[in-house]
Amino acid sequence: MDIQPIHPPPTSFWRRYVFSTDHKYIAKQFLWAGLIFLALGGSLAMMIRWQWAYPGQPMPIYGSLFLRKSGGIITPALYPSIFTMHGLIMIFFAITPILIGAFGNLTIPLMIGARDMAFPTLNMLSFWTFLVSQALMIAAFFVKMGAASAGWTTYPPLSDSIGTPGWGQTLAVMAIFVTGVATIMGGINYITTVIRCRAPGMTWGRLPLTVWGMWLTAILNVLFVPVLGSGGLLLLLDRLFGTQFFIAGASAVNGGGDPLVFQHLFWIFGHPEVYILILPAWGIMCDLLSFFSRKPSYFYKGSVGAMVAVTLLSAIVYGHHMYVTGMAPLLGKGFMTFTVMISVPAEVLFLNWLQTMWKGSIRLETPMLWTMGTVFVFGLGGLTGLFLAIVSMDLYLHDTMFVVGHFHLTMAAASFMASMAGIYFWFPKMFGRQLNQTLGKIHFWFSMIFIPLVFGGQLLAGYSGQQRRLFDPYQYTFLRHLQPLNQWTSYFAFILGAAQLVFVYNFVVSVFAGKKASDNPWEVGTLDWDTPSPPPYHNFDVVPHVQRGPHELGDPAVKKALGRDWIGQWEEMPGEKSGQAAPKLAEAH
Amino acid sequence: MRRLQSLWTAALALGLSARALAEPVTAKGLGLPPDASADGYRIDELIHETVIFIAVMFGIMVVWMLLAAILHGRKHEAFYTHVTRRGQIVSLVVIGVLVAADADLYIDTMRDMSEVFWNFAPVDADPNAIKIEIDAHQWAWSARYAGPDGKFNTPDDVVTLNDIRAPVGAPVIFEITSTDVIHSLYFPNFRVKMDAMPGMVNHLWLRPKETGEYEVGCAQHCGINHYKMRALFTVLPEADYQRWLREASANAERAYDPADTVAHWGWDWTNPRPIEGDQPPLPKAATARAAGAAHEEGI
Repeated sequence: MDIQPIHPPPTSFWRRYVFSTDHKYIAKQFLWAGLIFLALGGSLAMMIRWQWAYPGQPMPIYGSLFLRKSGGIITPALYPSIFTMHGLIMIFFAITPILIGAFGNLTIPLMIGARDMAFPTLNMLSFWTFLVSQALMIAAFFVKMGAASAGWTTYPPLSDSIGTPGWGQTLAVMAIFVTGVATIMGGINYITTVIRCRAPGMTWGRLPLTVWGMWLTAILNVLFVPVLGSGGLLLLLDRLFGTQFFIAGASAVNGGGDPLVFQHLFWIFGHPEVYILILPAWGIMCDLLSFFSRKPSYFYKGSVGAMVAVTLLSAIVYGHHMYVTGMAPLLGKGFMTFTVMISVPAEVLFLNWLQTMWKGSIRLETPMLWTMGTVFVFGLGGLTGLFLAIVSMDLYLHDTMFVVGHFHLTMAAASFMASMAGIYFWFPKMFGRQLNQTLGKIHFWFSMIFIPLVFGGQLLAGYSGQQRRLFDPYQYTFLRHLQPLNQWTSYFAFILGAAQLVFVYNFVVSVFAGKKASDNPWEVGTLDWDTPSPPPYHNFDVVPHVQRGPHELGDPAVKKALGRDWIGQWEEMPGEKSGQAAPKLAEAH
Repeated sequence: MRRLQSLWTAALALGLSARALAEPVTAKGLGLPPDASADGYRIDELIHETVIFIAVMFGIMVVWMLLAAILHGRKHEAFYTHVTRRGQIVSLVVIGVLVAADADLYIDTMRDMSEVFWNFAPVDADPNAIKIEIDAHQWAWSARYAGPDGKFNTPDDVVTLNDIRAPVGAPVIFEITSTDVIHSLYFPNFRVKMDAMPGMVNHLWLRPKETGEYEVGCAQHCGINHYKMRALFTVLPEADYQRWLREASANAERAYDPADTVAHWGWDWTNPRPIEGDQPPLPKAATARAAGAAHEEGI
């Protein structure tokens, strides 16, 4: 591989703390930006839950803080803005920066033994572009006629200037476009870095699965975010310059365009997006389950193959979001076929996780608990996807709360819990300190119990027929009996929301005053733990020569030679060097 | 102009729908709403099968994980392996079971879609089929019946607002479009829905098996009053339906105003295109009902 020179760290304040090109620092910037928006999106979720429990009644606390004009009540005009902004913020401005921005930036160079990203300046630009998009999102809250309100899917004609007038919607679409630019910059960087900057001996078969997940996600991002960008740009032209790409019906003049085209553009991106958010999570889960089971990740090649297969298939299943748009039956059945097929690689991954844990020596540390929680909620979420993949069941369940429950379990809960696993795991490496493990476990158990209750409640409401996005579901006689269910779901959601304050406290206190962490507190062998905590500006004083795969845990030979149950990817076995029994070493060169 | 048309249709609907003011069918307890469709059992059966299947799979996963955490904890010596033959066999068997279950659902749904839910041509050709044009707009459903002349957009058309009626037993086929934004015509008691797209005519059909009043909802976010976009679907005995249609059509003809062009939003029936070559004949509603009854008895 290329020779990576050591650059001295910058000395000026701006280059060091603001416009930093250090991937570890950018990772922290993404983490803070993402966590703040996670809190914002979560607050909006609390408002939606209040609305479904007590429609039309003044909301406590929030009401007196944010809704003074309407006497604490969420109005029908405000309500669509709340769920629209909740969805957009959570997907593009909270989960994406945490899972991809923060962990991608932190783990890729450290885990492959690189001194930084391939393009450090592009990396910095990616973050600052992302920050501009967040600013646009925030601005959308403060313009006349309120924030975006056409749903996170922004289907035209509703999202056109006639359906949703005002700058709020325009700013939100602009924000998506700009964040797309940032994502593409990051994606190009990740792809190049993994291909070009691996340490000597770091073959594709020795990459930690986290890196595999990040790399495949980056490929999906670079391929499909431009499609979303083109859809967003055409929508902006429709809104601002009077074009009619997506306008049809009464507001169309001169023939108009086709609103369905937008849905195709949106979901060609939108379905890979689901995997964009879950592939890094899968990678992290594979690695962490192995680390805390003290056992190699079961069937490494199978996991890699499954992730690659999902990446390929993800591009040709998107039509299942459009079964009831009047899609031609042949097309609908084709998309269903691919959708059912994509469940097979996902099953391979699940079985590999379970087999990794089996006969291990499981350490139920905080990151492990979060990872097992992720397996649980993603299992529930993945299995409920079956109802929506099968066309005839989707005829009934489409656009109901069942869909909401399903994608919250997969995209929201699973990504969230995997992010938390990552935060508790890499916090020592990021900040040189430990998070409080007891508080971490309290945070985990509250989340673990209430996440399935909240989203299970949504599944049940949808199963009983409740449509999504209703300001007042009880306008319908057939939904009136669901109010107690929705109220209980809301109570659970409020507890879940409140429990996150434990994390906020733990995080903020630990960043500044946590217990000092050792270099390798979890006793694992990937290259990121071959550095001090936190690592120096150039990561590695000497770029390591990689000797073996990432999950060499529990090997009896290692135990005999080194007296511990793990061996670093960088370490040579005593005796191997002298040429006896060195098949692994031979393979490395 | 839009308001004028709405007023006109609202007045007509009010005059005609004294019957529709009664409470529609309500649901009790959690679970699927009462099934009023001759074909609803097809979807309900699949849903119930899938619930059982995923409950078993999820149960196995959770027990496996819990057992691993309890039996193979910190004190257990880890078994060093990258992959084992026995493990691969277990994985293969589990995946085989999953694929078999998926395939079962897949075959069932393919059959149901081809024979029933996406099989429009035989319904369209059926002389007993009730044809209704739906124009969705913010935030109401306009429905149009062809009247005695069998042609749409003529003076004898019956036009209603948020009030759809059909006789029991006959297939009802809808041509659906939207004036403004995307809506979705949703019949929870009939387990089907179809988007109303501006610039497009979509098709949907169903077969009511019981008289009664059922709610119709909008399933696609369509603006501020999305939650109020509610209609009633009244399934009448055949004779009642015919009487209503006759009277409504006569009233419509009396009130017809050739100058009010906005009210003439109907279109010539487009006929769904047969897309996949031969379309199988519809399964008989009677046998479907028998099968549905058998299912309800717990078979």
